[in-house]
Amino acid sequence: MRIFVCVALLLAMAPLGLPLFAMTLLTEALILGLLAMSLDLMVGYTRLISFGHAAAYGLGAYASGYLLLHTSLPLPFAVLAASVLAGVVAIGVAWVCTLAKGVSFSMLTLAFAQLLYAVAFKWTSVTGASDGLAGIPRTAGPFGVTVFQTKNGYYYLVLVCLLGAYLFCRSLVGSPFGAVLRGIRENEAKTLSLGYNTRLYKIAVVAVSFALGGLAGALYSPFAGFANTELVFWLFSGQVLIMVIVGGQGTLIGPILGAAFFMLLEHVLSQYTESWALFFGLIFIGFVMFAPQGIWGLLTRRARA
Amino acid sequence: MDLLSFLLVQCLNALSQAALLFFLGVGLTLIFGIMRIVNFAHGTFYMLGAFLGYSAVRLTGSFWAGLVLGPLVAGGIGAAFEMGLLRRLYKRDDSAFLMVTFGLTLVLGEIIRLVWGVDALQVQVPDSLSGIVFLLDEPFPVYRLFLVAAGAIVAVGIWQFLERTRLGLLIRATSQNAEMVHALGVDVNLVRSGIFGIGCGLAALGGVLAAPLLSASLGMAGNAIIDAFVIVIIGGMGSFPGSLLAAILVAFVQVFGTYYFPDFAMAAMYLLMLLVLVVRPGGLLGKEA
Repeated sequence: MRIFVCVALLLAMAPLGLPLFAMTLLTEALILGLLAMSLDLMVGYTRLISFGHAAAYGLGAYASGYLLLHTSLPLPFAVLAASVLAGVVAIGVAWVCTLAKGVSFSMLTLAFAQLLYAVAFKWTSVTGASDGLAGIPRTAGPFGVTVFQTKNGYYYLVLVCLLGAYLFCRSLVGSPFGAVLRGIRENEAKTLSLGYNTRLYKIAVVAVSFALGGLAGALYSPFAGFANTELVFWLFSGQVLIMVIVGGQGTLIGPILGAAFFMLLEHVLSQYTESWALFFGLIFIGFVMFAPQGIWGLLTRRARA
Repeated sequence: MDLLSFLLVQCLNALSQAALLFFLGVGLTLIFGIMRIVNFAHGTFYMLGAFLGYSAVRLTGSFWAGLVLGPLVAGGIGAAFEMGLLRRLYKRDDSAFLMVTFGLTLVLGEIIRLVWGVDALQVQVPDSLSGIVFLLDEPFPVYRLFLVAAGAIVAVGIWQFLERTRLGLLIRATSQNAEMVHALGVDVNLVRSGIFGIGCGLAALGGVLAAPLLSASLGMAGNAIIDAFVIVIIGGMGSFPGSLLAAILVAFVQVFGTYYFPDFAMAAMYLLMLLVLVVRPGGLLGKEA
Protein backbone atom coordinates (compact mmCIF):
# COMPACT_ATOMS: atom_id res chain seq x y z
CA MET A 1 0.00 0.00 0.00
CA ARG A 2 2.86 2.38 0.82
CA ILE A 3 4.35 1.78 -2.61
CA PHE A 4 0.95 2.39 -4.17
CA VAL A 5 0.67 5.81 -2.47
CA CYS A 6 4.23 6.70 -3.54
CA VAL A 7 3.57 5.79 -7.18
CA ALA A 8 0.25 7.62 -7.13
CA LEU A 9 1.94 10.75 -5.75
CA LEU A 10 4.75 10.51 -8.29
CA LEU A 11 2.25 10.21 -11.13
CA ALA A 12 0.22 13.08 -9.70
CA MET A 13 3.33 15.30 -9.73
CA ALA A 14 4.33 14.29 -13.25
CA PRO A 15 2.82 17.36 -14.96
CA LEU A 16 5.14 19.58 -12.90
CA GLY A 17 8.32 18.06 -14.25
CA LEU A 18 7.53 16.62 -17.67
CA PRO A 19 7.29 18.46 -20.99
CA LEU A 20 3.96 18.50 -22.79
CA PHE A 21 4.73 15.79 -25.37
CA ALA A 22 5.80 13.44 -22.59
CA MET A 23 2.55 14.15 -20.80
CA THR A 24 0.64 13.19 -23.95
CA LEU A 25 2.56 9.91 -24.09
CA LEU A 26 2.01 9.30 -20.41
CA THR A 27 -1.72 9.96 -20.65
CA GLU A 28 -2.04 7.50 -23.51
CA ALA A 29 0.06 4.96 -21.63
CA LEU A 30 -2.24 5.23 -18.61
CA ILE A 31 -5.32 4.78 -20.81
CA LEU A 32 -3.80 1.70 -22.41
CA GLY A 33 -2.74 0.54 -18.96
CA LEU A 34 -6.34 0.70 -17.80
CA LEU A 35 -7.36 -1.33 -20.86
CA ALA A 36 -4.66 -3.96 -20.31
CA MET A 37 -5.49 -4.21 -16.62
CA SER A 38 -9.14 -4.81 -17.43
CA LEU A 39 -8.15 -7.64 -19.78
CA ASP A 40 -5.98 -9.11 -17.03
CA LEU A 41 -9.14 -9.85 -15.00
CA MET A 42 -10.13 -12.26 -17.76
CA VAL A 43 -6.75 -13.55 -18.91
CA GLY A 44 -4.72 -13.60 -15.73
CA TYR A 45 -7.31 -14.39 -13.08
CA THR A 46 -9.88 -16.51 -14.90
CA ARG A 47 -7.86 -17.94 -17.81
CA LEU A 48 -10.39 -16.59 -20.29
CA ILE A 49 -8.06 -15.70 -23.16
CA SER A 50 -10.02 -13.00 -24.96
CA PHE A 51 -8.86 -12.18 -28.44
CA GLY A 52 -11.45 -9.47 -28.82
CA HIS A 53 -10.77 -6.94 -26.13
CA ALA A 54 -10.58 -4.21 -28.74
CA ALA A 55 -14.38 -4.58 -28.81
CA ALA A 56 -14.62 -3.16 -25.29
CA TYR A 57 -12.25 -0.32 -26.14
CA GLY A 58 -14.00 0.46 -29.40
CA LEU A 59 -17.46 0.38 -27.83
CA GLY A 60 -16.38 2.83 -25.17
CA ALA A 61 -14.56 5.07 -27.63
CA TYR A 62 -17.43 5.26 -30.12
CA ALA A 63 -20.10 5.63 -27.45
CA SER A 64 -18.42 8.49 -25.61
CA GLY A 65 -17.45 10.10 -28.92
CA TYR A 66 -21.03 9.91 -30.14
CA LEU A 67 -22.45 11.28 -26.90
CA LEU A 68 -19.98 14.18 -26.85
CA LEU A 69 -20.63 15.03 -30.50
CA HIS A 70 -24.41 14.79 -30.46
CA THR A 71 -25.55 15.55 -26.94
CA SER A 72 -24.65 18.17 -24.36
CA LEU A 73 -23.80 15.58 -21.73
CA PRO A 74 -20.84 16.71 -19.59
CA LEU A 75 -17.64 14.78 -20.33
CA PRO A 76 -17.40 12.68 -17.13
CA PHE A 77 -21.00 11.53 -17.51
CA ALA A 78 -20.53 10.67 -21.18
CA VAL A 79 -17.45 8.62 -20.27
CA LEU A 80 -19.35 6.85 -17.50
CA ALA A 81 -22.33 6.13 -19.73
CA ALA A 82 -20.06 4.66 -22.40
CA SER A 83 -18.41 2.45 -19.81
CA VAL A 84 -21.77 1.18 -18.57
CA LEU A 85 -22.85 0.50 -22.15
CA ALA A 86 -19.75 -1.62 -22.75
CA GLY A 87 -20.46 -3.58 -19.59
CA VAL A 88 -24.09 -4.21 -20.57
CA VAL A 89 -23.18 -5.31 -24.10
CA ALA A 90 -20.58 -7.61 -22.57
CA ILE A 91 -23.27 -9.55 -20.71
CA GLY A 92 -24.79 -10.58 -24.04
CA VAL A 93 -21.39 -11.27 -25.59
CA ALA A 94 -20.28 -13.31 -22.61
CA TRP A 95 -23.51 -15.26 -22.54
CA VAL A 96 -22.72 -16.58 -26.03
CA CYS A 97 -18.95 -16.85 -25.68
CA THR A 98 -19.08 -18.85 -22.45
CA LEU A 99 -20.93 -21.59 -24.32
CA ALA A 100 -17.45 -22.55 -25.48
CA LYS A 101 -14.25 -23.18 -23.59
CA GLY A 102 -10.55 -22.78 -24.16
CA VAL A 103 -9.46 -21.95 -27.67
CA SER A 104 -13.04 -21.85 -28.97
CA PHE A 105 -13.78 -19.15 -26.41
CA SER A 106 -10.87 -17.09 -27.75
CA MET A 107 -12.09 -17.50 -31.30
CA LEU A 108 -15.64 -16.51 -30.33
CA THR A 109 -14.46 -13.32 -28.70
CA LEU A 110 -12.49 -12.62 -31.86
CA ALA A 111 -15.63 -13.19 -33.93
CA PHE A 112 -17.62 -10.78 -31.79
CA ALA A 113 -14.97 -8.12 -32.06
CA GLN A 114 -14.91 -8.56 -35.82
CA LEU A 115 -18.68 -8.37 -35.96
CA LEU A 116 -18.44 -5.09 -34.13
CA TYR A 117 -15.70 -4.02 -36.56
CA ALA A 118 -18.06 -4.79 -39.44
CA VAL A 119 -20.81 -2.77 -37.78
CA ALA A 120 -18.46 0.17 -37.16
CA PHE A 121 -17.45 -0.02 -40.80
CA LYS A 122 -21.00 0.01 -42.16
CA TRP A 123 -23.18 1.99 -39.73
CA THR A 124 -22.27 5.31 -41.30
CA SER A 125 -24.85 7.47 -39.51
CA VAL A 126 -23.51 6.58 -36.06
CA THR A 127 -19.88 5.54 -36.53
CA GLY A 128 -18.90 7.53 -39.62
CA ALA A 129 -17.82 4.30 -41.39
CA SER A 130 -14.18 4.26 -42.50
CA ASP A 131 -13.70 7.96 -41.62
CA GLY A 132 -14.67 7.30 -38.01
CA LEU A 133 -15.76 10.06 -35.66
CA ALA A 134 -13.60 13.12 -35.86
CA GLY A 135 -13.42 16.36 -33.89
CA ILE A 136 -14.70 14.84 -30.66
CA PRO A 137 -14.75 17.76 -28.20
CA ARG A 138 -13.72 17.76 -24.58
CA THR A 139 -16.83 19.49 -23.35
CA ALA A 140 -16.96 21.39 -20.08
CA GLY A 141 -17.64 19.27 -17.05
CA PRO A 142 -20.71 19.51 -14.85
CA PHE A 143 -21.25 22.56 -12.61
CA GLY A 144 -19.02 24.66 -14.83
CA VAL A 145 -15.86 22.63 -14.19
CA THR A 146 -13.57 23.25 -17.14
CA VAL A 147 -10.40 21.62 -15.83
CA PHE A 148 -10.80 18.55 -18.07
CA GLN A 149 -10.45 20.70 -21.17
CA THR A 150 -6.76 21.30 -20.54
CA LYS A 151 -4.16 18.64 -21.29
CA ASN A 152 -2.99 18.32 -17.71
CA GLY A 153 -6.50 18.42 -16.33
CA TYR A 154 -7.43 15.56 -18.59
CA TYR A 155 -4.37 13.69 -17.42
CA TYR A 156 -5.68 13.91 -13.86
CA LEU A 157 -9.06 12.58 -14.93
CA VAL A 158 -7.34 9.59 -16.54
CA LEU A 159 -5.09 9.09 -13.52
CA VAL A 160 -8.03 9.14 -11.10
CA CYS A 161 -9.90 6.63 -13.27
CA LEU A 162 -6.88 4.32 -13.43
CA LEU A 163 -6.14 4.47 -9.69
CA GLY A 164 -9.80 3.98 -8.84
CA ALA A 165 -10.06 1.05 -11.24
CA TYR A 166 -6.89 -0.47 -9.82
CA LEU A 167 -8.15 -0.29 -6.23
CA PHE A 168 -11.48 -1.72 -7.38
CA CYS A 169 -9.82 -4.60 -9.25
CA ARG A 170 -7.51 -5.34 -6.34
CA SER A 171 -10.35 -5.63 -3.87
CA LEU A 172 -12.29 -7.64 -6.44
CA VAL A 173 -9.58 -10.26 -6.92
CA GLY A 174 -9.02 -10.36 -3.16
CA SER A 175 -12.70 -10.96 -2.45
CA PRO A 176 -14.48 -14.34 -2.34
CA PHE A 177 -15.58 -13.54 -5.90
CA GLY A 178 -11.93 -13.36 -6.94
CA ALA A 179 -11.25 -16.66 -5.19
CA VAL A 180 -13.91 -18.30 -7.35
CA LEU A 181 -12.32 -16.78 -10.44
CA ARG A 182 -8.97 -18.31 -9.52
CA GLY A 183 -10.78 -21.57 -8.89
CA ILE A 184 -12.11 -21.43 -12.46
CA ARG A 185 -8.60 -20.68 -13.70
CA GLU A 186 -7.03 -23.63 -11.93
CA ASN A 187 -9.78 -26.21 -12.34
CA GLU A 188 -13.19 -25.26 -13.61
CA ALA A 189 -14.75 -28.71 -13.19
CA LYS A 190 -13.76 -28.81 -9.56
CA THR A 191 -15.10 -25.32 -8.91
CA LEU A 192 -18.35 -26.32 -10.55
CA SER A 193 -18.62 -29.43 -8.43
CA LEU A 194 -18.12 -27.32 -5.32
CA GLY A 195 -21.45 -25.75 -6.16
CA TYR A 196 -20.42 -22.55 -7.91
CA ASN A 197 -22.24 -21.64 -11.10
CA THR A 198 -19.00 -20.99 -12.96
CA ARG A 199 -20.71 -19.72 -16.08
CA LEU A 200 -22.39 -16.90 -14.16
CA TYR A 201 -19.05 -15.98 -12.62
CA LYS A 202 -17.42 -15.93 -16.03
CA ILE A 203 -20.17 -13.73 -17.46
CA ALA A 204 -19.78 -11.38 -14.49
CA VAL A 205 -16.02 -11.06 -14.89
CA VAL A 206 -16.36 -10.43 -18.64
CA ALA A 207 -18.90 -7.70 -17.90
CA VAL A 208 -16.63 -6.02 -15.34
CA SER A 209 -13.65 -6.37 -17.66
CA PHE A 210 -15.56 -4.87 -20.58
CA ALA A 211 -16.91 -2.02 -18.46
CA LEU A 212 -13.35 -1.08 -17.43
CA GLY A 213 -12.03 -1.61 -20.95
CA GLY A 214 -14.92 0.53 -22.19
CA LEU A 215 -13.93 3.17 -19.66
CA ALA A 216 -10.45 3.20 -21.19
CA GLY A 217 -11.89 3.57 -24.68
CA ALA A 218 -14.29 6.25 -23.51
CA LEU A 219 -11.35 8.19 -22.09
CA TYR A 220 -9.35 7.72 -25.28
CA SER A 221 -11.67 9.26 -27.85
CA PRO A 222 -11.98 12.70 -26.21
CA PHE A 223 -8.23 12.57 -25.55
CA ALA A 224 -7.32 11.82 -29.15
CA GLY A 225 -10.28 13.72 -30.59
CA PHE A 226 -11.27 10.82 -32.85
CA ALA A 227 -12.49 7.25 -32.88
CA ASN A 228 -11.95 5.00 -35.88
CA THR A 229 -12.30 1.37 -36.87
CA GLU A 230 -8.68 0.64 -36.02
CA LEU A 231 -9.65 0.73 -32.35
CA VAL A 232 -11.89 -2.30 -32.95
CA PHE A 233 -9.54 -4.18 -35.31
CA TRP A 234 -8.30 -7.63 -34.33
CA LEU A 235 -4.68 -6.51 -34.51
CA PHE A 236 -5.32 -4.13 -31.63
CA SER A 237 -6.89 -6.94 -29.58
CA GLY A 238 -3.67 -8.87 -30.11
CA GLN A 239 -1.58 -5.91 -29.02
CA VAL A 240 -3.51 -5.54 -25.78
CA LEU A 241 -2.99 -9.23 -25.10
CA ILE A 242 0.73 -8.66 -25.70
CA MET A 243 0.73 -5.87 -23.11
CA VAL A 244 -0.85 -8.19 -20.55
CA ILE A 245 1.57 -11.06 -21.20
CA VAL A 246 4.71 -8.94 -21.48
CA GLY A 247 3.77 -7.03 -18.35
CA GLY A 248 2.90 -10.11 -16.33
CA GLN A 249 -0.55 -11.66 -16.27
CA GLY A 250 -2.51 -12.11 -13.10
CA THR A 251 -0.82 -9.20 -11.32
CA LEU A 252 -2.92 -6.14 -12.32
CA ILE A 253 0.21 -3.95 -12.00
CA GLY A 254 2.07 -5.94 -14.64
CA PRO A 255 -0.31 -5.19 -17.52
CA ILE A 256 -0.13 -1.46 -16.72
CA LEU A 257 3.66 -1.69 -16.93
CA GLY A 258 3.28 -3.76 -20.08
CA ALA A 259 1.16 -1.05 -21.67
CA ALA A 260 3.68 1.63 -20.72
CA PHE A 261 6.52 -0.55 -22.02
CA PHE A 262 4.62 -1.09 -25.27
CA MET A 263 4.04 2.64 -25.74
CA LEU A 264 7.62 3.56 -24.90
CA LEU A 265 9.11 0.85 -27.10
CA GLU A 266 6.91 1.78 -30.04
CA HIS A 267 7.83 5.42 -29.57
CA VAL A 268 11.58 4.78 -29.30
CA LEU A 269 11.82 2.10 -32.00
CA SER A 270 9.78 4.08 -34.50
CA GLN A 271 12.32 6.90 -34.18
CA TYR A 272 15.17 4.65 -35.28
CA THR A 273 13.56 2.24 -37.68
CA GLU A 274 10.47 1.84 -39.78
CA SER A 275 10.47 -1.85 -39.01
CA TRP A 276 9.63 -1.49 -35.34
CA ALA A 277 7.03 -4.26 -35.66
CA LEU A 278 9.86 -6.67 -36.47
CA PHE A 279 11.73 -5.97 -33.24
CA PHE A 280 8.51 -5.81 -31.37
CA GLY A 281 7.54 -9.27 -32.54
CA LEU A 282 10.96 -10.63 -31.61
CA ILE A 283 10.82 -9.11 -28.13
CA PHE A 284 7.35 -10.51 -27.66
CA ILE A 285 8.41 -14.00 -28.77
CA GLY A 286 11.34 -13.73 -26.37
CA PHE A 287 9.02 -12.94 -23.46
CA VAL A 288 6.67 -15.82 -24.23
CA MET A 289 9.57 -18.25 -24.60
CA PHE A 290 11.84 -17.23 -21.76
CA ALA A 291 9.92 -15.01 -19.34
CA PRO A 292 6.27 -16.11 -19.27
CA GLN A 293 5.88 -14.33 -15.94
CA GLY A 294 6.46 -10.97 -17.67
CA ILE A 295 8.19 -7.77 -16.61
CA TRP A 296 6.47 -7.61 -13.22
CA GLY A 297 7.35 -11.24 -12.58
CA LEU A 298 11.01 -10.55 -13.37
CA LEU A 299 11.05 -7.48 -11.14
CA THR A 300 9.46 -9.15 -8.14
CA ARG A 301 11.58 -12.27 -8.49
CA ARG A 302 14.68 -10.09 -8.47
CA ALA A 303 13.36 -8.30 -5.39
CA ARG A 304 12.66 -11.55 -3.54
CA ALA A 305 15.99 -13.16 -4.41
CA MET B 1 -29.60 -13.01 -67.93
CA ASP B 2 -32.10 -15.59 -66.84
CA LEU B 3 -32.28 -17.11 -63.42
CA LEU B 4 -30.70 -20.43 -64.29
CA SER B 5 -27.53 -19.03 -65.81
CA PHE B 6 -27.32 -16.45 -63.03
CA LEU B 7 -27.47 -19.17 -60.41
CA LEU B 8 -24.93 -21.29 -62.28
CA VAL B 9 -22.44 -18.45 -62.53
CA GLN B 10 -22.90 -17.39 -58.91
CA CYS B 11 -22.58 -20.97 -57.67
CA LEU B 12 -19.37 -21.47 -59.63
CA ASN B 13 -18.09 -18.17 -58.26
CA ALA B 14 -18.88 -19.37 -54.79
CA LEU B 15 -17.19 -22.71 -55.41
CA SER B 16 -14.01 -21.05 -56.67
CA GLN B 17 -14.08 -18.85 -53.57
CA ALA B 18 -14.66 -21.97 -51.48
CA ALA B 19 -11.55 -23.56 -52.99
CA LEU B 20 -9.40 -20.62 -51.82
CA LEU B 21 -11.00 -20.67 -48.38
CA PHE B 22 -10.49 -24.42 -48.18
CA PHE B 23 -6.73 -24.11 -48.81
CA LEU B 24 -6.64 -21.56 -46.02
CA GLY B 25 -8.76 -23.49 -43.53
CA VAL B 26 -7.53 -27.02 -44.08
CA GLY B 27 -3.95 -26.29 -43.06
CA LEU B 28 -5.09 -24.54 -39.92
CA THR B 29 -7.43 -27.35 -38.96
CA LEU B 30 -4.77 -30.02 -39.63
CA ILE B 31 -2.30 -28.19 -37.41
CA PHE B 32 -4.87 -27.72 -34.70
CA GLY B 33 -6.31 -31.22 -34.88
CA ILE B 34 -2.94 -32.91 -34.60
CA MET B 35 -0.86 -30.52 -32.56
CA ARG B 36 -3.50 -28.55 -30.62
CA ILE B 37 -1.80 -25.41 -31.85
CA VAL B 38 -3.76 -22.37 -32.98
CA ASN B 39 -1.50 -20.96 -35.63
CA PHE B 40 -2.08 -17.24 -35.64
CA ALA B 41 0.54 -16.83 -38.37
CA HIS B 42 -1.52 -18.86 -40.82
CA GLY B 43 -2.79 -15.82 -42.69
CA THR B 44 0.76 -14.53 -42.94
CA PHE B 45 1.88 -17.77 -44.59
CA TYR B 46 -0.97 -17.33 -47.05
CA MET B 47 0.29 -13.83 -47.79
CA LEU B 48 3.86 -15.12 -48.03
CA GLY B 49 2.62 -17.62 -50.63
CA ALA B 50 1.16 -14.85 -52.76
CA PHE B 51 4.42 -12.87 -52.70
CA LEU B 52 6.55 -15.96 -53.32
CA GLY B 53 4.28 -16.79 -56.25
CA TYR B 54 4.85 -13.30 -57.65
CA SER B 55 8.62 -13.67 -57.40
CA ALA B 56 8.62 -17.16 -58.87
CA VAL B 57 6.63 -15.94 -61.84
CA ARG B 58 9.05 -13.01 -62.25
CA LEU B 59 12.15 -15.24 -62.03
CA THR B 60 11.08 -18.28 -64.01
CA GLY B 61 8.32 -16.81 -66.12
CA SER B 62 6.09 -19.70 -65.21
CA PHE B 63 3.05 -19.62 -62.95
CA TRP B 64 3.41 -23.36 -62.41
CA ALA B 65 6.86 -22.90 -60.92
CA GLY B 66 5.32 -20.51 -58.40
CA LEU B 67 2.70 -23.10 -57.58
CA VAL B 68 5.49 -25.51 -56.60
CA LEU B 69 8.08 -23.14 -55.13
CA GLY B 70 5.74 -21.00 -53.02
CA PRO B 71 4.35 -23.81 -50.85
CA LEU B 72 7.78 -25.47 -50.61
CA VAL B 73 9.53 -22.38 -49.29
CA ALA B 74 6.67 -21.41 -46.96
CA GLY B 75 6.38 -24.98 -45.72
CA GLY B 76 10.12 -25.05 -45.05
CA ILE B 77 9.91 -21.85 -43.02
CA GLY B 78 6.96 -23.24 -41.10
CA ALA B 79 8.74 -26.50 -40.31
CA ALA B 80 11.86 -24.61 -39.22
CA PHE B 81 9.76 -22.41 -36.93
CA GLU B 82 8.22 -25.49 -35.35
CA MET B 83 11.63 -27.05 -34.78
CA GLY B 84 13.20 -23.88 -33.43
CA LEU B 85 10.49 -22.46 -31.19
CA LEU B 86 7.18 -24.27 -30.93
CA ARG B 87 8.83 -27.52 -29.92
CA ARG B 88 10.02 -25.94 -26.70
CA LEU B 89 6.50 -24.98 -25.71
CA TYR B 90 4.69 -28.33 -25.75
CA LYS B 91 4.71 -28.51 -21.97
CA ARG B 92 3.07 -25.10 -21.63
CA ASP B 93 -0.63 -24.30 -22.00
CA ASP B 94 -2.36 -23.60 -25.31
CA SER B 95 -2.19 -19.83 -25.05
CA ALA B 96 1.61 -19.88 -25.39
CA PHE B 97 1.26 -21.10 -28.99
CA LEU B 98 -1.32 -18.49 -29.78
CA MET B 99 1.02 -15.79 -28.58
CA VAL B 100 4.24 -17.06 -30.12
CA THR B 101 2.55 -17.40 -33.49
CA PHE B 102 1.15 -13.90 -33.05
CA GLY B 103 4.72 -12.73 -32.59
CA LEU B 104 5.67 -14.62 -35.75
CA THR B 105 2.87 -12.79 -37.57
CA LEU B 106 4.47 -9.46 -36.71
CA VAL B 107 7.98 -10.58 -37.62
CA LEU B 108 7.11 -12.37 -40.84
CA GLY B 109 4.77 -9.59 -41.95
CA GLU B 110 7.53 -7.04 -41.46
CA ILE B 111 10.08 -9.18 -43.32
CA ILE B 112 7.67 -9.49 -46.23
CA ARG B 113 7.25 -5.71 -46.25
CA LEU B 114 11.02 -5.24 -46.25
CA VAL B 115 11.60 -7.73 -49.08
CA TRP B 116 8.70 -6.92 -51.41
CA GLY B 117 7.80 -3.35 -50.44
CA VAL B 118 4.45 -1.83 -49.59
CA ASP B 119 2.82 -1.81 -53.02
CA ALA B 120 0.32 -4.43 -54.12
CA LEU B 121 1.93 -6.68 -56.74
CA GLN B 122 -0.08 -7.90 -59.70
CA VAL B 123 0.34 -11.51 -60.78
CA GLN B 124 -0.71 -12.44 -64.31
CA VAL B 125 -3.04 -15.32 -64.92
CA PRO B 126 -1.05 -17.85 -67.01
CA ASP B 127 -1.91 -17.74 -70.72
CA SER B 128 -3.38 -21.21 -70.74
CA LEU B 129 -5.93 -20.21 -68.11
CA SER B 130 -6.61 -16.60 -69.03
CA GLY B 131 -9.55 -17.24 -71.35
CA ILE B 132 -13.27 -17.09 -70.88
CA VAL B 133 -15.77 -19.86 -71.44
CA PHE B 134 -19.47 -19.50 -72.07
CA LEU B 135 -21.77 -21.37 -69.70
CA LEU B 136 -25.43 -21.13 -70.75
CA ASP B 137 -24.37 -18.08 -72.79
CA GLU B 138 -22.83 -16.38 -69.75
CA PRO B 139 -19.10 -15.59 -69.86
CA PHE B 140 -17.08 -17.13 -67.07
CA PRO B 141 -13.32 -16.90 -66.48
CA VAL B 142 -11.41 -20.15 -67.01
CA TYR B 143 -9.16 -19.36 -64.06
CA ARG B 144 -12.05 -19.63 -61.61
CA LEU B 145 -12.99 -23.01 -63.07
CA PHE B 146 -9.36 -24.01 -62.61
CA LEU B 147 -9.60 -23.00 -58.94
CA VAL B 148 -12.65 -25.20 -58.43
CA ALA B 149 -10.79 -28.13 -59.99
CA ALA B 150 -7.63 -27.44 -57.97
CA GLY B 151 -9.66 -27.31 -54.77
CA ALA B 152 -11.32 -30.61 -55.55
CA ILE B 153 -8.02 -32.27 -56.46
CA VAL B 154 -6.29 -31.09 -53.29
CA ALA B 155 -9.26 -32.09 -51.12
CA VAL B 156 -9.31 -35.60 -52.55
CA GLY B 157 -5.52 -35.73 -52.38
CA ILE B 158 -5.36 -34.85 -48.68
CA TRP B 159 -8.17 -37.23 -47.89
CA GLN B 160 -6.44 -40.12 -49.65
CA PHE B 161 -3.12 -39.14 -48.10
CA LEU B 162 -4.59 -39.27 -44.60
CA GLU B 163 -6.54 -42.47 -45.16
CA ARG B 164 -4.30 -44.55 -47.42
CA THR B 165 -0.63 -43.78 -46.80
CA ARG B 166 1.59 -44.86 -43.95
CA LEU B 167 2.50 -41.28 -43.15
CA GLY B 168 -1.19 -40.41 -43.06
CA LEU B 169 -1.72 -43.24 -40.62
CA LEU B 170 1.07 -41.91 -38.40
CA ILE B 171 -0.45 -38.45 -38.51
CA ARG B 172 -3.88 -39.71 -37.47
CA ALA B 173 -2.34 -41.84 -34.76
CA THR B 174 -0.31 -38.89 -33.43
CA SER B 175 -3.44 -36.79 -33.20
CA GLN B 176 -5.15 -39.47 -31.10
CA ASN B 177 -2.35 -40.45 -28.75
CA ALA B 178 1.05 -38.94 -29.34
CA GLU B 179 2.68 -40.69 -26.36
CA MET B 180 1.64 -44.11 -27.54
CA VAL B 181 2.93 -43.44 -31.04
CA HIS B 182 6.18 -42.24 -29.54
CA ALA B 183 6.41 -45.40 -27.42
CA LEU B 184 6.01 -47.47 -30.59
CA GLY B 185 9.23 -46.00 -31.89
CA VAL B 186 8.02 -43.20 -34.14
CA ASP B 187 9.78 -39.85 -34.10
CA VAL B 188 6.71 -37.82 -33.12
CA ASN B 189 8.65 -34.56 -33.25
CA LEU B 190 9.40 -35.16 -36.91
CA VAL B 191 5.74 -35.88 -37.64
CA ARG B 192 4.79 -32.63 -35.91
CA SER B 193 7.34 -30.54 -37.82
CA GLY B 194 6.11 -32.15 -41.01
CA ILE B 195 2.48 -31.37 -40.23
CA PHE B 196 3.23 -27.77 -39.35
CA GLY B 197 5.19 -27.42 -42.58
CA ILE B 198 2.45 -29.04 -44.66
CA GLY B 199 -0.21 -26.83 -43.06
CA CYS B 200 1.77 -23.67 -43.78
CA GLY B 201 2.53 -24.93 -47.28
CA LEU B 202 -1.18 -25.42 -47.97
CA ALA B 203 -1.88 -21.86 -46.84
CA ALA B 204 0.88 -20.65 -49.16
CA LEU B 205 -0.59 -22.70 -52.02
CA GLY B 206 -3.86 -20.85 -51.44
CA GLY B 207 -1.91 -17.60 -51.50
CA VAL B 208 -0.22 -18.39 -54.84
CA LEU B 209 -3.58 -19.34 -56.35
CA ALA B 210 -5.30 -16.25 -54.96
CA ALA B 211 -2.59 -13.87 -56.21
CA PRO B 212 -3.91 -13.50 -59.80
CA LEU B 213 -7.37 -12.64 -58.46
CA LEU B 214 -6.49 -10.39 -55.53
CA SER B 215 -2.85 -9.41 -56.27
CA ALA B 216 -0.28 -9.81 -53.53
CA SER B 217 -0.68 -7.13 -50.86
CA LEU B 218 0.15 -6.56 -47.22
CA GLY B 219 -3.50 -6.46 -46.23
CA MET B 220 -4.03 -10.08 -47.23
CA ALA B 221 -2.88 -11.64 -43.97
CA GLY B 222 -5.42 -9.93 -41.74
CA ASN B 223 -8.43 -10.88 -43.81
CA ALA B 224 -7.08 -14.36 -44.42
CA ILE B 225 -6.50 -15.24 -40.79
CA ILE B 226 -10.01 -14.20 -39.82
CA ASP B 227 -11.51 -16.18 -42.72
CA ALA B 228 -9.41 -19.19 -41.77
CA PHE B 229 -10.49 -19.04 -38.13
CA VAL B 230 -14.13 -18.73 -39.11
CA ILE B 231 -13.90 -21.78 -41.35
CA VAL B 232 -12.11 -23.89 -38.79
CA ILE B 233 -14.58 -22.93 -36.07
CA ILE B 234 -17.66 -23.52 -38.20
CA GLY B 235 -16.33 -26.83 -39.48
CA GLY B 236 -15.15 -27.99 -36.10
CA MET B 237 -11.56 -27.57 -34.95
CA GLY B 238 -9.42 -30.38 -36.27
CA SER B 239 -12.04 -31.83 -38.62
CA PHE B 240 -10.82 -32.21 -42.22
CA PRO B 241 -14.27 -32.79 -43.82
CA GLY B 242 -15.56 -30.02 -41.56
CA SER B 243 -13.16 -27.51 -43.09
CA LEU B 244 -14.33 -28.47 -46.58
CA LEU B 245 -17.99 -28.13 -45.63
CA ALA B 246 -17.40 -24.83 -43.84
CA ALA B 247 -15.38 -23.39 -46.75
CA ILE B 248 -18.27 -24.08 -49.13
CA LEU B 249 -20.83 -22.72 -46.67
CA VAL B 250 -18.88 -19.52 -46.00
CA ALA B 251 -18.15 -18.98 -49.69
CA PHE B 252 -21.84 -19.22 -50.57
CA VAL B 253 -22.76 -16.83 -47.76
CA GLN B 254 -20.06 -14.41 -48.97
CA VAL B 255 -20.96 -14.54 -52.66
CA PHE B 256 -24.74 -14.46 -52.32
CA GLY B 257 -24.56 -12.12 -49.33
CA THR B 258 -22.53 -9.62 -51.33
CA TYR B 259 -25.09 -9.81 -54.11
CA TYR B 260 -28.29 -9.51 -52.10
CA PHE B 261 -27.26 -7.61 -48.96
CA PRO B 262 -24.06 -5.74 -49.82
CA ASP B 263 -24.20 -3.81 -46.55
CA PHE B 264 -24.41 -6.89 -44.39
CA ALA B 265 -22.10 -9.23 -46.30
CA MET B 266 -19.22 -8.59 -43.92
CA ALA B 267 -21.34 -9.32 -40.87
CA ALA B 268 -23.12 -12.34 -42.41
CA MET B 269 -20.07 -14.57 -42.08
CA TYR B 270 -19.68 -13.81 -38.38
CA LEU B 271 -23.39 -14.25 -37.75
CA LEU B 272 -23.22 -17.65 -39.43
CA MET B 273 -20.34 -18.57 -37.17
CA LEU B 274 -22.14 -17.42 -34.03
CA LEU B 275 -25.23 -19.33 -35.06
CA VAL B 276 -23.24 -22.53 -35.58
CA LEU B 277 -21.48 -22.13 -32.26
CA VAL B 278 -24.65 -21.52 -30.31
CA VAL B 279 -26.25 -24.64 -31.80
CA ARG B 280 -23.13 -26.79 -31.85
CA PRO B 281 -20.33 -25.31 -29.71
CA GLY B 282 -17.78 -27.72 -31.18
CA GLY B 283 -18.50 -26.78 -34.80
CA LEU B 284 -20.53 -28.66 -37.42
CA LEU B 285 -18.38 -31.79 -37.62
CA GLY B 286 -16.18 -31.28 -34.58
CA LYS B 287 -16.23 -33.03 -31.27
CA GLU B 288 -18.30 -31.33 -28.62
CA ALA B 289 -16.33 -28.56 -26.99
